Amino acid sequence: MVLYEIFGVFVYPGIALLFGLAFLYEWIDRKFFARVQNRMGPLYTGPSGILQPVADFLKLLSKEDIVPASCEKPIFSVIPIVYATLPLIALFVIPITGSALIAFEGDVIFLMFISAFITLSVFLAGWSSAGSFSRIGSIRSALQMLSYEIPFGLALIGPAISAHSLSLTKIAQWQVANSSWFMWLQPIGFAVVLISLLAELELVPFDIPEAETEIVAGWLTEYGGRRLALFRLGKDLELVMASTLVASLYLGGAQPLFFIPPVVILIVKSIVVLMLISFVRALFARFRIDQMTSGMWTYLLPLMIVQILLVQFGIGG
Amino acid sequence: MKKLEEYKEDIVDIKKPKERRIFIRVKSENFKKFLSSLIEDLDLRHLSTITGLDTGQEMELLYHFSYKYSVEITIGVKVPKSSPKVPTITDLIPGAIFYEQEIHDLLGIEFEGHPNLGPLIVPEGWPEGVYPLRKEYTVQELNRIARGGK
Amino acid sequence: MSYGTTIKVPFGPQHPALKEPEYFLFEVDGDIVVKVTPRIGYVHRGVEKAFEQETYLHNLYLAERICGICSHAHSTCYTQTIEGLIPLEIPPRAVYIRLIMAELERLHSHSLWVGIAAHEAGFDTLFMYLWRDREMIMDLMEEISGNRVTHAINTIGGVRRDITSEQATKIKKFLEKFESNVKEYTKVLESEQTFIKRTKDVGVLKPRDAIVLCAVGPTLRASGIKSDVRADDPYLAYGEIPFNVITHDGCDVYARTIVRCEEMIESANIIRYALDHLPEGKIKVPPPRTIAPNESVGRVEAPRGELIHYARSNGTNKPERYKVRAPTLGNLASVCQTLIGAHVADIPLILAGIDPCFSCMDRVIITKKSV
Repeated sequence: MVLYEIFGVFVYPGIALLFGLAFLYEWIDRKFFARVQNRMGPLYTGPSGILQPVADFLKLLSKEDIVPASCEKPIFSVIPIVYATLPLIALFVIPITGSALIAFEGDVIFLMFISAFITLSVFLAGWSSAGSFSRIGSIRSALQMLSYEIPFGLALIGPAISAHSLSLTKIAQWQVANSSWFMWLQPIGFAVVLISLLAELELVPFDIPEAETEIVAGWLTEYGGRRLALFRLGKDLELVMASTLVASLYLGGAQPLFFIPPVVILIVKSIVVLMLISFVRALFARFRIDQMTSGMWTYLLPLMIVQILLVQFGIGG
Repeated sequence: MKKLEEYKEDIVDIKKPKERRIFIRVKSENFKKFLSSLIEDLDLRHLSTITGLDTGQEMELLYHFSYKYSVEITIGVKVPKSSPKVPTITDLIPGAIFYEQEIHDLLGIEFEGHPNLGPLIVPEGWPEGVYPLRKEYTVQELNRIARGGK
Repeated sequence: MSYGTTIKVPFGPQHPALKEPEYFLFEVDGDIVVKVTPRIGYVHRGVEKAFEQETYLHNLYLAERICGICSHAHSTCYTQTIEGLIPLEIPPRAVYIRLIMAELERLHSHSLWVGIAAHEAGFDTLFMYLWRDREMIMDLMEEISGNRVTHAINTIGGVRRDITSEQATKIKKFLEKFESNVKEYTKVLESEQTFIKRTKDVGVLKPRDAIVLCAVGPTLRASGIKSDVRADDPYLAYGEIPFNVITHDGCDVYARTIVRCEEMIESANIIRYALDHLPEGKIKVPPPRTIAPNESVGRVEAPRGELIHYARSNGTNKPERYKVRAPTLGNLASVCQTLIGAHVADIPLILAGIDPCFSCMDRVIITKKSV
């Protein structure tokens, strides 16, 4: 039993699977993004460049480790590890194989806590590295969090109200039992969760904290070598987290279909979500931070409140 | 062209080598007054650039105006090398600011009344009083200075 | 929002938004720029001094290397100035070939710029598409002149290579495709809300300021002033070819983008007309080696605006003085003005808005020639 649990945490559906998915999703994102832009994308490492993210990761690990003299050393060294671990923990509560590794009543709240914590670690990463671009980037990411966090939280709560449960596993099961997805029941919530996840993942049009042409790499500017590798891994895991979260919350989760194992269904669904995200990323220009904050408060939040009210009156689940 | 005739007493020489090109040489006394009234009369708003050149004994400034963006009027004025000072025209044409600053860097001509004559294009630590476009500096010598010689 | 004190934010010489090294010191109050001090000259190569050391023919190749993007504009301006010194008339066929190359260069430079503008606004997809199309122009220019960047097609007294009829049909075929693509991109730019939000009312340069600060080129035309050296002071064969001068009343970065997009269409029309009316005959006449004392001013509408060269000869085979003023220096004063009052996040877009080419702008000081 203990062995089985250890296997669960480290291999399936735990760390090994998640790391594999992280690299796979990064490849899909890069390849799809490149094809939308009429480029080739990764091409040489492995078939169609599928191993490129792994190669990048290993290469970064072997690079020289540079620590800026004026940085806040303890925080500077701890944050990359924290940043890579947080989405991993979040993934443990998401029912990837139909049931989550750790499932308990209230894990939706736990997920919200983790997502807020990720942004906080971004802020600390930028602030502790003491570079001017990093500081601007970290302030921007904090500002951004203030604007997307509330609509994001409400978008998680919408399905929870309908399913009468604060457990992700139960919400997914509710959808299977009622054979209808929340994407159709609560379309506004679905749109809002996608938009706020774009902001959470710092992707175009909300890649403001690391806007390359404005502030170099934002909060990431001072990081290099294995620290950067950890941040990259953390970002990939976040991508997995975001897409599987949407898949299980709004797209019915890991529902069994004929003989196909539920985990495959969920991965396919989350890849669809991922492609949607990449596609949006390719279609837009970057907002300015003030435009983003005001837009989120004036459009996203009221829309989401309307959605919640609709749910309360029994429309949409 | 006709209007230019009115300024006969200030003009030394007028050339019109081809269409839409006019070269004027004027006296250095009252240069500013001449220029401001000419700008007023012809509505010369666009200053293409200012060329500074070293003719050996003295230096020359050429103001390339374009009249209605079409006719290029070049107004030349001599500047003595011993005391290279001319009044600025940034109050008449604010766009001249960087052209004057550049000439100050390269030829050492003092523009009286210019808001900022600090270094614009010479490298940091460039020795004062070395003006690369003056004829007395050869390329070899400038190379030596640039590498920290002298 | 004002904090009473200002913070100094350095920008450059190395910065991802600037592809070339240049330094700007911004004084920032909160998020708003209150003062700008440029410090140019990081890529000085001493071109003006070097001009005095070499013969007229050698200088042609030096002039071409002032700028990597508008190399043909510089060499056209150089040959125009030197031919004005001699004076020398060049054969009509050479005139048309120079013009076709100049317009092809404008196409590639403008598509480069619109791509960069999209990239600065975080709109990478359009950047990739435009640069893909730009690659086709580069290939075409390579086929005509033998070189991708410094085309070396101009020579004093004419051009060095002819355009064959196969090449002409190839250009026409390309233009058709390119034109429809550009129209598509213009439509995208005009309807893409995020791009409009980032560029509308950003970096406003009022018409009055544009005139007073001596702005040139698309920057000036985007402020609603109808000024184009090609139309106002026709050189080459621009006097014989009908075309419109594109203007826009927006005065902002958005207007500058649209002006450049529409100019690309206009350029395509010019090339098509020139190819249809390409005169027959010689492509060059031999120039004299020494030039009697004289002076001459050459003006060309480079992709970035009015380019002006001044030359004075002294009877030898080397010029007495050669002056180059690239369009970016002409626009520097106006861009410093428009940056005041801008958000920090808008700085790259506004700076990019004038299509800066700092290597063009910095010319004089030290030659890197071995002693």
